[in-house]
Amino acid sequence: MYKYIIRRILIFIPMLFALTIIVFALLKAAPGDPFSQILDPDIEAGVLDEQRAAAGFNDPIHVQYINWLTSAVKGDFGDSFRYKGREVTEVIMDRIPNTVYLGLFSLLITIIVAIPIGIYSARHPYSLFDYAATGFGFFGLAVPNFFFGLVIIYLFAIQLGWFPSQGSISSTSLTGMELFTDRIHHLILPGLTLGLASTASYMRYMRSEVLNVLSSDYIRTARAKGMSERNILYKHTLRNAMIPIITLFGFEIGSLLAGAIITEGVFNYPGLGTLFLSSIGNRDYPVIMAIAFLLGLFILVGNLIADILYSIVDPRIRYD
Amino acid sequence: MKKRKSWLSLLAIVFLLGMLAACSDGNKETTNDPDDGNNDPVTSEPKSGGTVVGAMDTAPTGQFNPIFYQEAYEANILGLTHDSLLSQNDELEFEPHLAKEWKFSEDFSSVTFTLRDDVKWHDGQPFTANDVVFTYKTIADPEYVAAGGVRSSYVSKLVGAEEYTSGETDEFPGVVADDDYTVTFHFKEPNVMALADASFTIIPEHIFKDIPVADMPSAAASLQPNEVIGTGPFKFTEMVEGERYVLTKNPDYFLGEPYLDSVEWRVVNQDLILQLLESGEIDFVADPNGFQAADYDTVANMEHVKIIEQNDFGYQLLGFIQNYRTPEDIEAGVLEPENWVPNERLKDPKVRQAIAYAINRQALIGTKAGEGLLHGRGQIINAPIATQFPAYDGENPNQYEFSQEQANALLDEAGYKDVTGDGLREDPEGNEWVLKLAYPLGNKLREDSAPIIVEMLAEVGVSVDLQQPLEMAAYVPELTNTQDWDLYLLGWTLGSGDPDPSGLWGSKDAYNFGRWYNPEADQLLVDAVTPPDAFDPEFRNQVYSDWQVMFQEDLPALILYAQNKLYAYNERMQGVVPAVTGFINDPQLWWVQD
Repeated sequence: MYKYIIRRILIFIPMLFALTIIVFALLKAAPGDPFSQILDPDIEAGVLDEQRAAAGFNDPIHVQYINWLTSAVKGDFGDSFRYKGREVTEVIMDRIPNTVYLGLFSLLITIIVAIPIGIYSARHPYSLFDYAATGFGFFGLAVPNFFFGLVIIYLFAIQLGWFPSQGSISSTSLTGMELFTDRIHHLILPGLTLGLASTASYMRYMRSEVLNVLSSDYIRTARAKGMSERNILYKHTLRNAMIPIITLFGFEIGSLLAGAIITEGVFNYPGLGTLFLSSIGNRDYPVIMAIAFLLGLFILVGNLIADILYSIVDPRIRYD
Repeated sequence: MKKRKSWLSLLAIVFLLGMLAACSDGNKETTNDPDDGNNDPVTSEPKSGGTVVGAMDTAPTGQFNPIFYQEAYEANILGLTHDSLLSQNDELEFEPHLAKEWKFSEDFSSVTFTLRDDVKWHDGQPFTANDVVFTYKTIADPEYVAAGGVRSSYVSKLVGAEEYTSGETDEFPGVVADDDYTVTFHFKEPNVMALADASFTIIPEHIFKDIPVADMPSAAASLQPNEVIGTGPFKFTEMVEGERYVLTKNPDYFLGEPYLDSVEWRVVNQDLILQLLESGEIDFVADPNGFQAADYDTVANMEHVKIIEQNDFGYQLLGFIQNYRTPEDIEAGVLEPENWVPNERLKDPKVRQAIAYAINRQALIGTKAGEGLLHGRGQIINAPIATQFPAYDGENPNQYEFSQEQANALLDEAGYKDVTGDGLREDPEGNEWVLKLAYPLGNKLREDSAPIIVEMLAEVGVSVDLQQPLEMAAYVPELTNTQDWDLYLLGWTLGSGDPDPSGLWGSKDAYNFGRWYNPEADQLLVDAVTPPDAFDPEFRNQVYSDWQVMFQEDLPALILYAQNKLYAYNERMQGVVPAVTGFINDPQLWWVQD
């Protein structure tokens, strides 16, 4: 098992290396650069060219890549062009806590809501509750994030005033417990919005998997030998039904980082998603490279975690 | 039976959505009380205390050093925390601010400012002439541009700036402190724009003097609240990065202690600004984007919200690409008008004029709510100079009143006739004649205007091939080097300091994307800033008038419209008197009535 994990982690290195080459090449192939959209007649001719030269844009592309790589390996991702005077690591680290809070919170909502409902629906198929859950599922998948976000802001923030409508905290002077509750308070609406679609899809997966397993031969055998329904469900059904959910979960960890662009935008919840998007628009190469690298890393790690969980849930799966 | 049940749940969803929609509609109606803007509650004496909250739809990037920041969102904050030697009044004349008075030398090549001696930086240090010298010296520093600064145009006319920037000398004779409260700007030659050049925002020497210029953008004094030091009426005291920016009053402000305790900027999703304005969570929305013209009636119907509508310093244009650069010139990165290759499809001025006549600009703007793209909240302007300047000539340049007859007649005259009978004109040789119209993403109204322009031109038989829109970062390099575009859309925001249109429309200007080449017009732009005549405002305005006439004849671009600025603020805010240059004007006089 440990050997397996170490082997997998070693494979990360060439994969991430390939990823950075591809992203770097794509970035350089895209028209424009960080200075090309600065249109200002007040700026003297030559100033921007001087800045391009200072940024090393006139070097051959492989030299630029190697320069980037050698400092990135040392943990220095360079300075942002748009966030002038700030290091990329700093710009990104400012955003990561928000992204992680939001991602984990919505994942928590998803798991707490989707899995029990999915199981219940599967055990009582075609009941009123099942139909309601199905209805909710379609609703959750069909409603666009931004619309749902605006509706709940309107209802719960503007009309009822229960939650703040925008932002991630209300003041930098908060500490300790106050800070924690303030963060949660700000997290609830965006967390619900982000969690809605994945809750709906997890629920549907869970329902169909459990239904599927419940109708299989070994469950019938278990029933025939008089095993209690409880045991059937928790010992035999759930384990098998969890496998596809774990696959989903593995992807989810990776997309947690980047997946919230729209939700972050609607709630002005500054996270990596909106940073990534605006950096692409501004051709802020160092920031894009660093985020792409992080995303790649997270997706790889997410998949690894999923693979490890497989072997825990399903004893038939063994790695060596 | 099963089927009906799933129908029921669907119905329930539809019903729920319907309720939400009805709920939001109903609320708007209850506040349907027209506001004529004059029904103020009895205004009493200004009171101290309170906070106002302003909304921005995009977060500042976080660079709060006036000599390094570039975006309008930072300007919202720096406008409250920092000052310049001079300010501008509503006639755009320069007025005393940090400087009490000024005097030109006889030949107008230098100007001496007497500074106020009662100004203190936020940390209590006195503001002196050395700060002014330091600010300009830093902009001229050899490291300044490489560190990311772009404001070198403010120093390039000063004596010795070139030598100092190139590192030849350590002396900077361009700006000299004669004593603590007297400072003289020495220009290489008499400078018509001396006052504009001298009104750059001043930064504190005592804070920055030990920081190498290359490290200035990353210094805490450029980034962090309480470390950013200015002379303005408010201090930058708290920041929740990307969300909230809090400015607390500076009780020692030299124009008097502000009434407000604090001004807070909140970054708010654009779709929510009006809702929050209505609920009172935010008090005002102003520069750079204000609110959308389409929402004018909604805002006007908000009981407690007032609207200010004023001219903007900017315009949107439909550019005509008259010449192309040669591939060799592009490779070499030079702008050599003599080498340019004329664009055969547009080289006849009659064709460009016909296109100008064929575009119904009033229809783009509209005359009232629900009409056009701007719902009537904009103006037709006929020269690329902001209308607020006396230099703008609204009469003599051709006005291009919408007239399809004129357009048709001009095109017929130029030989562009429909010979194939498909309703579209061919060129004088009878070949297919299609114009490529390119446009950038990023401004919704401009994006919407592109297909409308195509239709308007089709009505006079001009066939236009609308290109796929490009994001700005990709559009500008394409536009700079294009070899086959004919028409382009773009917008400019102009400075309020001086009406001089060079930089955009001189033939050697990079931003002259249409590659308009008219030596006579170039000469006029030079004459307008050449002393001694240029110091006579009448002479200068006359030259600009001649230039504007020439612009409209040659048509390097048709100015489509100038969008009005639309500001909105909660009527609890008092003392709000925006300047022509922007919403923030004497913020120390803002106060709230609750």
